[in-house]
Amino acid sequence: MTAVRDEPLAPEPGVDSAPVITVRGVRKYFPIREGVLQKVVGHVRAVDGVSFEIPRGETLGLVGESGCGKTTLGRCIAGLTDATDGGIYFRLAESDRLFLDEMDAVPEAERTLQHQARIEAIDLAHRIDRMKGDSWRSYRRNCQFVFQDAFSSLNPRQLVKDIVGRPLKVYKEASGPELTDRVVDLLQSVGMGRQHLYRYPHEFSGGQRQRISIARALALEPEFIVLDEPTSALDVSVQSQILNLLHELQQERGLTYLFITHDLGVVRLMSDDIVVMYLGEVMERATASELFAAPRHPYTEALLAANPDLLEGDEEAEMRGLEGTVPDPARPPQGCRFHTRCPAAIPQCGWEVDDAVAWLADNSTTLDELSGVERASEFDAAVRFRDSDAAAEAKALLEGPEVSAPMQGALLALSASGAELRIQFTEVDPVELEDVGEGHLTSCILHTSRSTHL
Amino acid sequence: MVDSTAPGTTLAPAVSGPLAVRLRRAGELSREVLRNPTTFLGLIIIVGLITMAALAPVLTEPNTPDAYQMPRDWGAINEPPGTPGHIFGTTSTGGDVFYGVVWGARTSLRMSMIVVGFTVVFGTAMGSIAGFVGGRVDEIIMRIVDVLLAIPELIFALAIAAVLGPSFANIIFALSVVFWVKYARIIRGQIIHVKQNDYVDSARVVGDSKFNIYRKDVLPNSVTPVVVQATLDMGGIVLVGATLSFIGLAEAGLAEWGVLVSEGQAGISSGRWWASTIPGAMVFLWALAFNLLGDGLRDVLDPRTGGR
Repeated sequence: MTAVRDEPLAPEPGVDSAPVITVRGVRKYFPIREGVLQKVVGHVRAVDGVSFEIPRGETLGLVGESGCGKTTLGRCIAGLTDATDGGIYFRLAESDRLFLDEMDAVPEAERTLQHQARIEAIDLAHRIDRMKGDSWRSYRRNCQFVFQDAFSSLNPRQLVKDIVGRPLKVYKEASGPELTDRVVDLLQSVGMGRQHLYRYPHEFSGGQRQRISIARALALEPEFIVLDEPTSALDVSVQSQILNLLHELQQERGLTYLFITHDLGVVRLMSDDIVVMYLGEVMERATASELFAAPRHPYTEALLAANPDLLEGDEEAEMRGLEGTVPDPARPPQGCRFHTRCPAAIPQCGWEVDDAVAWLADNSTTLDELSGVERASEFDAAVRFRDSDAAAEAKALLEGPEVSAPMQGALLALSASGAELRIQFTEVDPVELEDVGEGHLTSCILHTSRSTHL
Repeated sequence: MVDSTAPGTTLAPAVSGPLAVRLRRAGELSREVLRNPTTFLGLIIIVGLITMAALAPVLTEPNTPDAYQMPRDWGAINEPPGTPGHIFGTTSTGGDVFYGVVWGARTSLRMSMIVVGFTVVFGTAMGSIAGFVGGRVDEIIMRIVDVLLAIPELIFALAIAAVLGPSFANIIFALSVVFWVKYARIIRGQIIHVKQNDYVDSARVVGDSKFNIYRKDVLPNSVTPVVVQATLDMGGIVLVGATLSFIGLAEAGLAEWGVLVSEGQAGISSGRWWASTIPGAMVFLWALAFNLLGDGLRDVLDPRTGGR
């Protein structure tokens, strides 16, 4: 266990049982600007409403394809960027969390002054983007980050001693010979030594550089470390060494990890809980053993299938790979965001006009005659063509046998009048994460209570 | 582990002080720079010119109150090179060309050091603010830089010096006003690029201050193109400065290469080439030497430009 340090922020009662990190409905949107005046024309929804907790001493694996927002979320949690909405809380007690959950249901206007005061107090003490002074310094010390690319995360002009000793200097913890000794201790704890003190980063291999990064992250004896794909740039043999090192350090020091990766095989070894993200949203969340034994989301299954070693006797799953590309995060799909690539999709998954248009673009040339789209909603739009032939052809194609059955099943109406083709889909509510037993959360409607109404 | 098997490292002492390591690194770099023969030649010429400038009072003793004024020997006008006492000959006003060459080196060194010193510091400061702070501050500074860059260096410096009146100090001032924008632009681009490195974010995670991040992470990794440009400008500034004094923007009679070329040009048609050709060759030599060194530095410090 880490020695308890005399921090300015006295631990409140019950703080030991509180999760180190609580993420509540975090969103991070990046504005898309266009034109000379840099007008905001839309937002890339990198992270779109993610919630989870990381209990003390545990590892949460955050998994997803590249571009799903996992690194952005990690950066938000480390305080490197501010979240657009929602909050990231440090050592948020259970009672406070329940209170905040309760308050989420109450409209702002109806909250009493006491409520507001309590929210404010919780925010100032625990919410990382509201913290000031000592609380912020305490968080800054207690949350460290290990970057994916060990080549760009070490300043090429600094010696190892300066890199690893820098956190100690910033907080004026040590100087002179004492600093050197502390740095040597840190280097030894990651399997390096005194002989590496006065070398430049370029003199080391990738694995050694990552060890230096880890030593730097450990310097302030933090409680919590965000590991952003710490091994994906390394050779397989070196990967396992680094993973073992991280595991040992966690055991020795009682560290809490957020382990971000695209590799399910890696998180399986490391994680207690796993959160699967896709296009900024959580698809599934469960304990590691539960997730691997009984995945309850086709996306998780597809990720598992991409890594044949992880399959447990499911020969058929091997055949199901992921097809297609990730949709534009500035215009994420309706309903379940995965439905455009989902092998198990059904008509209720959230099919929309964009899907029909995308299908036409991929499978025909009728869109060459497109002259405009007028949307009533995401599910109802009039697509105008230059001539009525094209409209009729598009209609025939969408009704034809080549269109996937789930999408056709979701079609409410398809009517061509002149050069205009009106496409209407059944409207679908946004999907929500739902507990399907013992903390296993999934957003797939096939596995939730909604499936009974289908 | 790769590094323990790499050649060279095993021979190095297991533990050595930070200073020794940094010195060794500097030694390696300079050896690499000087491996190129043309760079080495440039450095030799520069060392020679600077030695000449430093030893000017020893080489030719001044006999006027202001050593930077050409001494006049009215008894020896238009003497050709090789005349005893005037090895490079004399001008039509009795000025010793050798004296002008030697003290002109001093003038040139003074001019280029003042101008480069000021423009590097000021340009780097402005570019750093623009690149590091960003946003509106960046917009304002860079629009000013764009406006200044749009005017050709020589014409702009000429205009400023002409307005202020003929004096060598005004030339230095004009060059300073003109040359800083290049550095602002270079350093801003570098900083915006370097800022995106993960080591800047790791310093933020550790909780270091913005100024320390700038000082330790951003600036040291942005500065090499500035060093290269400063070396090239040490030559370029003398070239532009000599041009300005050639057209009469410095005090008449100043021991400066441009002034000498200007004074001697009338005699070229009469066969008295030495009074302008020799100082002109000095300008050429100076600019050439710094260009050779600057190019060599660029090849080593900034590998992106490749071998060209």
